[in-house]
Amino acid sequence: MTDQRLIRNFGIIAHIDHGKSTLADRILERSGAISKREMREQFLDDMDLEREMGITIKANRATVRHVHKGEEYMLNLIDTPGHVDFHYEVSRAMAACEGVLLLVDASQGVQAQTVANAYIATDANLEIIPVINKIDILGAHPDEVALEVEQVLGLAADEALFVSGKTGQGIDELFAAICERIPAPGGDRAAPLRALIYDAKSDPHRGIICHVRMVDGCIKRGDAIHMMRGGSDQIVTEVGKCTPKPTPMPDLSAGEVGYVLAGIKTLADVNIGDTITHEKHGATDPLPGYKTPQQMVYCDFYPGPGTTTQGLREAMERLWLNDSSFTYGPTSSDALGVGFRCGFLGLLHMKIIQERLERESDVSLVQTAPTVTYEIVLRTGEVVTILSPSQMPDPSHIEEIREPFCRASVIIPVDCVGTLMTLALERRGTQTGTEYLSKTRVMLRFEFPLGEIIYDFYDKLKSITRGYGTVDYEVTGFRAGQLVKMDILVNAVPVDALSIIVHRDKALFRGRRLVSRLRKEIERHQFEIPIQAAIGGKIIARETIKGFRKNVTAKCYGGDVTRKRKLLEKQKEGKKRMKQVGMVSIPQEAFMAVLDPGDD
Amino acid sequence: MNGCGLYVHVPFCDSKCGYCDFYSVALKGRSAGPLVTRTIQELGLRTLGGAAIETVFVGGGTPTVLPIDDFRRLFAALDGVVGAHAVVEFTVEANPATLDDQKLSVMTAAGVNRLSMGAQSWHVDELAALERLHSPDDIAPGVAMARRHGIGNINLDLIFGIPGQTVQRWAESLRRTIDLGVEHIACYGLTYEPGTRLTAQRAAGRVTPCDDGIETDMYGVALETLAQNGYGQYEISNFARAGGACRHNMMYWRNRSYIGVGPSAAGCVNRRRYKNVADVAGYIRRMDADGMAEAESEHLTREMFAGEMLLMQLRLTDGLDVTAFRQATGLETGSAFGGRLDDFAERGLLRITEDGIALTWAGTLAADWVIAELYAAMDLSGAESQHVASAIG
Ligand SMILES: Nc1nc2c(ncn2[C@@H]2O[C@H](COP(=O)(O)OP(=O)(O)O)[C@@H](O)[C@H]2O)c(=O)[nH]1
Ligand code: SF4
Repeated sequence: MTDQRLIRNFGIIAHIDHGKSTLADRILERSGAISKREMREQFLDDMDLEREMGITIKANRATVRHVHKGEEYMLNLIDTPGHVDFHYEVSRAMAACEGVLLLVDASQGVQAQTVANAYIATDANLEIIPVINKIDILGAHPDEVALEVEQVLGLAADEALFVSGKTGQGIDELFAAICERIPAPGGDRAAPLRALIYDAKSDPHRGIICHVRMVDGCIKRGDAIHMMRGGSDQIVTEVGKCTPKPTPMPDLSAGEVGYVLAGIKTLADVNIGDTITHEKHGATDPLPGYKTPQQMVYCDFYPGPGTTTQGLREAMERLWLNDSSFTYGPTSSDALGVGFRCGFLGLLHMKIIQERLERESDVSLVQTAPTVTYEIVLRTGEVVTILSPSQMPDPSHIEEIREPFCRASVIIPVDCVGTLMTLALERRGTQTGTEYLSKTRVMLRFEFPLGEIIYDFYDKLKSITRGYGTVDYEVTGFRAGQLVKMDILVNAVPVDALSIIVHRDKALFRGRRLVSRLRKEIERHQFEIPIQAAIGGKIIARETIKGFRKNVTAKCYGGDVTRKRKLLEKQKEGKKRMKQVGMVSIPQEAFMAVLDPGDD
Repeated sequence: MNGCGLYVHVPFCDSKCGYCDFYSVALKGRSAGPLVTRTIQELGLRTLGGAAIETVFVGGGTPTVLPIDDFRRLFAALDGVVGAHAVVEFTVEANPATLDDQKLSVMTAAGVNRLSMGAQSWHVDELAALERLHSPDDIAPGVAMARRHGIGNINLDLIFGIPGQTVQRWAESLRRTIDLGVEHIACYGLTYEPGTRLTAQRAAGRVTPCDDGIETDMYGVALETLAQNGYGQYEISNFARAGGACRHNMMYWRNRSYIGVGPSAAGCVNRRRYKNVADVAGYIRRMDADGMAEAESEHLTREMFAGEMLLMQLRLTDGLDVTAFRQATGLETGSAFGGRLDDFAERGLLRITEDGIALTWAGTLAADWVIAELYAAMDLSGAESQHVASAIG
């Protein structure tokens, strides 16, 4: 049992690409936890998809030993997810730490996620060590960046460390700072068991691995445990530490970080943020801060041709057992048949789930436009939450419609402020603050309706700031707005998957824009196809796709049938990406067209 | 009823027409002898099997451009085949200007009883636009000459939708063709096939395709005029007087077996499809090396066959033979097309009866779309083809 005094639990937080994974690799390598030979590039990012998308989706961890001033320390590295969509998971990972390394790229400077992550760390009362990284690269200006950190986050510039995850420069000082500046964990080893589940992973051979931070007490193999939030009881089959390979230990005690196996079959049976205690003589109060993950962005998945509803359901179940951060429930649409309404933490999360479904289960999907949830206050005073525009009650019953708002911080070069303000205005944003990071960079704070920024705000921001702008947001709550539901009719059939909820002032513009986009996305058919946008039965925009007069090959149709069949097969393949609404084939792109807010 | 067809491809023409994507090359100065020798060889091999040959069709290309000696050799070989089978229809393709008494005698001696001639148009400028070598004045004499040799069944091909063509001039071409009293008329809409000169000219902006609407009108005029004059439509582009439907083409359209011989010829025997190398020199080389010159072949699964029945038979005025479909595939038409038949029937595009599923007039105009939709609705999951690369048959 390691002396609590010699334990350090810490995480690394950073904006994407500021070098978190590289630094984590370096720490493992330097402490001898893994040899150079074993060292895969970026050991900690272990999902292919993560690697491909260049982001960390799930926190990983490792326990390493380090001798400092003649004493052997146990350093527990908790790698936190980096993206805005995973705020809650970041906060749970941080709740397992006493301190964090706030990593900032010496050439890029402070970015929106740097700030957002630092705030979460401050809220959690963590010791924050600013670490200016990549000092080896040309164009690094570490001193200025340290000043930015001081300016925006109030962390003294002269306490910043300067390192290079790539060359290893400054790593010794970093180890020293971890040992000296991050406090030792508290916690009472004699008190009833309380262990925070800060992450959980599914392992094909061993079931669910719960990653825990020991807060009080002690846990060992054979213990009968109780999940204080989830309510279930289990028997512990193994406890251990990741070094970084899972390595069994006799026990884990307060202050330590490790994993617990307890015969849990699916991720759905574990709640991140839950507290483990003993079944007998357990703790009375669970650890604070527990939240059920809140899905904010919803869209539908319908089976595409070649995939059945049952096939899709099985694929979703399989994935959900592996990653229960999304929700799904059956839904149906007159136009698209039976499918699933799915909830995600954010847009990136949605994209990841969609790709994993397609890749891991080989299903074809028709995905509808993502929307946010709305709260509808009925005349009766009752408040209902709707997950899709099609659930909107009859307008005569509605008192008001509330939409989710978020607080966003945007960091951009000073010369882009004008363009950004125009974009923000188009997206119904209100500015709430401005802070200069330096002479050339500024942080603007806004409040936005979430629905206005989930889709392409990030891309727009990148393009108006030549790639330099960054944004991070946090959902704050619901507010009433002048919102209406707009229906889209294709060939006189309302296609509910195409309907959207828009602000009244933008309805006409969006309606026109949308029907014109749809006219381009939907191919000419044998007959004329009207495309209409309507609000409460009133048509506000219309376009028509002309029909063919003739579509027949009147030629010598002889014996070379293979060629003809191949052609039909190609057409059939093309139709797979389409959804049939009546006699009209609507391509997947059309369903994405509704996303386009249309300010370019 | 169980007989099969025989197609022989002669890949030579006087010169290449701008719109043509059949495999053929200009004969000028070339020797046709070596090719004819290999073709006769393949003919011998392919007709060895027991299948009874019911129809023969010699096409191309322009078979009648063959030098007389080669022409004789080929037809002597065909005579042998005809003699051994109960052939009921023996067609040769010809261009009006390439017919002469000598070749007609050779043909009739071998049993040819049907001639199919590419008249295409009765207007000099339209023939020029198509880069055809003959003149309108060659058409009637060609037909008359064939009649003198006792050919009782003649088809003339016509093309509509030629750039610059008007509905009226098309009606004129139709009229003059009808006046010749031929038994069969085929009306083809000009199509822009990839890789042809015509398509290149369109891409370069030198040719403006006929307007969609005008072409529709032309097609309508053809249907009406031909019907009034006793030519019944039996396939999208084919019209015949009573009993004059081309039995050989019906083999294709009814998904029966047929043997193909010669470069680029396709055949389908017992649900095994093959296609020969589309290149004279390559064909000769493969025949000499392997004794066969197939470029590709595949075995049709039940589902593939069902798809082919749909795509060929819906082009027929009588439509898809429901009983034959059930017998050949074990599938029911009611369920095979994802239940979409009724959709099309409701829209007036299909006519569904006990024994047939056929396009209506409106459906005919939209035939490609209807067929593509129904094809896409079929469950062809068992349909991977077992592609056999150019092995000997
Ligand atoms: N020159 C230099 N490049 C670095 C350093 N640390 C990371 N990088 C590079 O920066 C990119 C992002 O690093 P990564 O560790 O994946 O960032 P993460 O997204 O924060 O995990 C990669 O191309 C790394 O090779 C460093 O100290 N110096
Ligand atoms: S004569 Fe017939 S086969 Fe020959 S090039 Fe012209 S259209 Fe093609």
